[in-house]
Amino acid sequence: MEFELKSRSVEKTMTRRKLLGHTGQGASLLTFGVTAPGVLCDAATLSAEQRILVVVEMAGGNDGLNTVVPIRDDLYRNARPNLAISSDDALSINDDLALHPSMRGMADLLEDGKLSIVQGVGYENPNRSHFESMDIWHSCQRKAEQRQNGWIGRYLESNKLNHLSDPPALHLGKRQQPFALMSRDVRVPSVQSLEQFRLRAAKSPDLRDAIRALSSQSRAGASDLLGFVQASSRNAIDASERMESAGVRYKPSEAYPETTLGRELETIAKLIASGLETRVYYVRIDGFDTHANQPGAHAVLLRSVSDAVGTLVRDVNAQGDGDRLLVMCFSEFGRRVAENASDGTDHGAAGPVLLAGNQVKAGVVGEHPHLDDLQNGDLKHRIDFRQVYAAILQQWLKCDAESVLGAAYDPVAVFAKL
Amino acid sequence: MNLIDVNPDWAWAAYEPSTNSPWNLDAVAHLFRRGGFGASRKQLVESVGNRPAEVVESLFSAEEPEAFQREMQTLLRAAIATDNVRQLAAQWVYRMLHTPAPLKEKMTLFWHGHFATSDEKVGDVRLMQTQNDLLRKYALGDFQALTLEISRDPAMLLYLDSATNRKSHPNENYAREIMELFCLGEGMYTEQDIRELARCFTGWEIKRERYRFNRYQHDAGMKTVLGVRGVKSGEEAIRIVTEHPAAPRFLARKLFQFFVMDEPVPTDELLVPLARQLSDDQMNIGPTVQRILGSNLFFSPLARARKVRSPVELGVGFLRAFEGTTDFFQLADAMYQLGQGLYQPPSVKGWDGGRTWINSSTLLGRANLIHRMLNGNKTRFGKQSLNDYFEVNGVDSVVDIADMLESSLFAVPIPRPAIERVKALVAASEDANGVNLAVHAFCTLPEFQVA
Repeated sequence: MEFELKSRSVEKTMTRRKLLGHTGQGASLLTFGVTAPGVLCDAATLSAEQRILVVVEMAGGNDGLNTVVPIRDDLYRNARPNLAISSDDALSINDDLALHPSMRGMADLLEDGKLSIVQGVGYENPNRSHFESMDIWHSCQRKAEQRQNGWIGRYLESNKLNHLSDPPALHLGKRQQPFALMSRDVRVPSVQSLEQFRLRAAKSPDLRDAIRALSSQSRAGASDLLGFVQASSRNAIDASERMESAGVRYKPSEAYPETTLGRELETIAKLIASGLETRVYYVRIDGFDTHANQPGAHAVLLRSVSDAVGTLVRDVNAQGDGDRLLVMCFSEFGRRVAENASDGTDHGAAGPVLLAGNQVKAGVVGEHPHLDDLQNGDLKHRIDFRQVYAAILQQWLKCDAESVLGAAYDPVAVFAKL
Repeated sequence: MNLIDVNPDWAWAAYEPSTNSPWNLDAVAHLFRRGGFGASRKQLVESVGNRPAEVVESLFSAEEPEAFQREMQTLLRAAIATDNVRQLAAQWVYRMLHTPAPLKEKMTLFWHGHFATSDEKVGDVRLMQTQNDLLRKYALGDFQALTLEISRDPAMLLYLDSATNRKSHPNENYAREIMELFCLGEGMYTEQDIRELARCFTGWEIKRERYRFNRYQHDAGMKTVLGVRGVKSGEEAIRIVTEHPAAPRFLARKLFQFFVMDEPVPTDELLVPLARQLSDDQMNIGPTVQRILGSNLFFSPLARARKVRSPVELGVGFLRAFEGTTDFFQLADAMYQLGQGLYQPPSVKGWDGGRTWINSSTLLGRANLIHRMLNGNKTRFGKQSLNDYFEVNGVDSVVDIADMLESSLFAVPIPRPAIERVKALVAASEDANGVNLAVHAFCTLPEFQVA
């Protein structure tokens, strides 16, 4: 039974490819899609627009209050006798708000009209477990619901992006794949460097052909698990071929920061420049769980994100693909308003989401959370994170956000020119 | 049969061989893979002559001889002196490969993923090894004692910030994870429980790399933890947490996933006998693991090939199958690249395992690791080249190689077309080393990734 389903879906993909090959038009996809479940997005428009989303996950719970700082708020200074950012150092956004002093890269983007700061993003009944809250951001579901896939995974699936000759999404980094990218049908590769995609063998093309052929054969009585590994193996072989030839011509327009994140974003720029059709790139930077000795660590982390994202936006613009790029930086929660006794902060709730790119509405979107209106010592959210997703899905990626998110969310107005 | 239809009593009753799950080489290989890191064909053939319960028992009674322990101590001192976590990892890989007590190492690895602590934050290989020794000491022992000791373990105290948990401002990190990830699972406690539990652990500090109780920083007031009033000390609190009825269920589920299958997820009902046993044994782990490894369900077709090989299982298992040895530093590094850095789990949640091990990059990396081991100049199989090793063992064709691999390394048969294709690859190759080529090709098949 299982194995029949698998072979049918393989046929489907092949038919689709063939169809595309003959007509060369996305429109026929839609015609075909009538029989395939869940063709929700306008694939024709998408392939014309070639827009890219880069997600930067700031894992551990970023202290939003020291990222976008309410410099004039006495409640802020009172709650943070040791950790409050001085208004002398902070990088001014407007009269009341400023960015953390180490966020020069983001401040420059803001000046160029390429940064949108979405304030107070979170969700009802915030969960303060890293994993639970991250899973909520990734899946858009609470624990009680059966989580099968992530929001990006559902986007990839519903879009039938299988017709792309490249992986529809890529995860950069050696950590395990983020749940946001999970889906039943679409396998998302992880890369650390392009070198990793080379299959070492005396006669690698022969071995590649053999493994591709053998992974495509259906096996009697194969389990779901083995079917999954087979599909992943085919994907690995395809990706290996493609990436070996990618990125030979690219030269960065400026040096990327010499950090893991910097290198990962440079790899993304290289892949974009080499014409990869990949739509979503996902990177993660760890360490935002600043329970102790926060100031130094947090400054380094914010600088790392800020410098790397700033460089990426400028470089991709220099390569001529600036209008195709949107970067989203988020964290699973913010941190408690009151500092703790270890010069750190504990798990909190709402925090800012940063969006960077040529098309964003520059400046602050939404109100800064009120420090005199807390829930259990934490900031309340005013914007549901799914409203940010809805804007990205609907307005940037041009697909039906409601079916990806499972409900209708009012998109936040984060784009200026769409 | 589906997992959902399995009767829990039958599942955990002592394994009785049947036509459906006979006691044969495949069954022994399955046991050695899950209860250790695999075995050579010679070992498998020796074991299949004994009764299943005897072979299972032998996994539990195995001990590291004194000479081996001394050798490990020497290696450990050298590794710690380098202050390089990868060197420490290489030492552990060596131990997994050569130990006569592989189940103990497998359980130590289980606890490392359970009480996950990373050198990336701890930054002290000596403390990382102190914790590793602790995990080994209690590998098949008393969970309550282990939890108490891990709560005072310097590496853990550093990793989850309990070292800075002070009376005036309790740090909730450890209190949360001990309930969410170590003992009970999400949803079994309230945020209030976390705050109260954090108070219990105030003043648990490190001094000169050792645990010390600082009574001046300890909140001696009464706390209410998980509905129990009047709790004073951290020790009492740990007893309450580990004696909570959710604890045996939580651990049974983790052991099931580790030893029996990655998927599908079992029902609570199926796990009831295991949870009950854990509870009856006062959370002593050994008997429950022995019951799992000697059970009907464990040996049934439902449990075969239902796990994805972890990078450690892949690397160590490959070498054990052919009595191999290699550059352990490189191997430990490859494991890290493939997502399982020893002493460096990705987060306090440990490794999720299962499908999360697999993606394009790790699949290519796995194939490349086999290639690198086969062609590395420090690699030997039974002190010789793989070519010679196979010759000595009467393996002299692609079909023989497939047969050899299938019995020791594969949980599912190698498909016939694969054997034909590899034959053709070897025939077409001018590469003199057809053995390496064939083994590499077979170990790049999707079938090799499941165990």
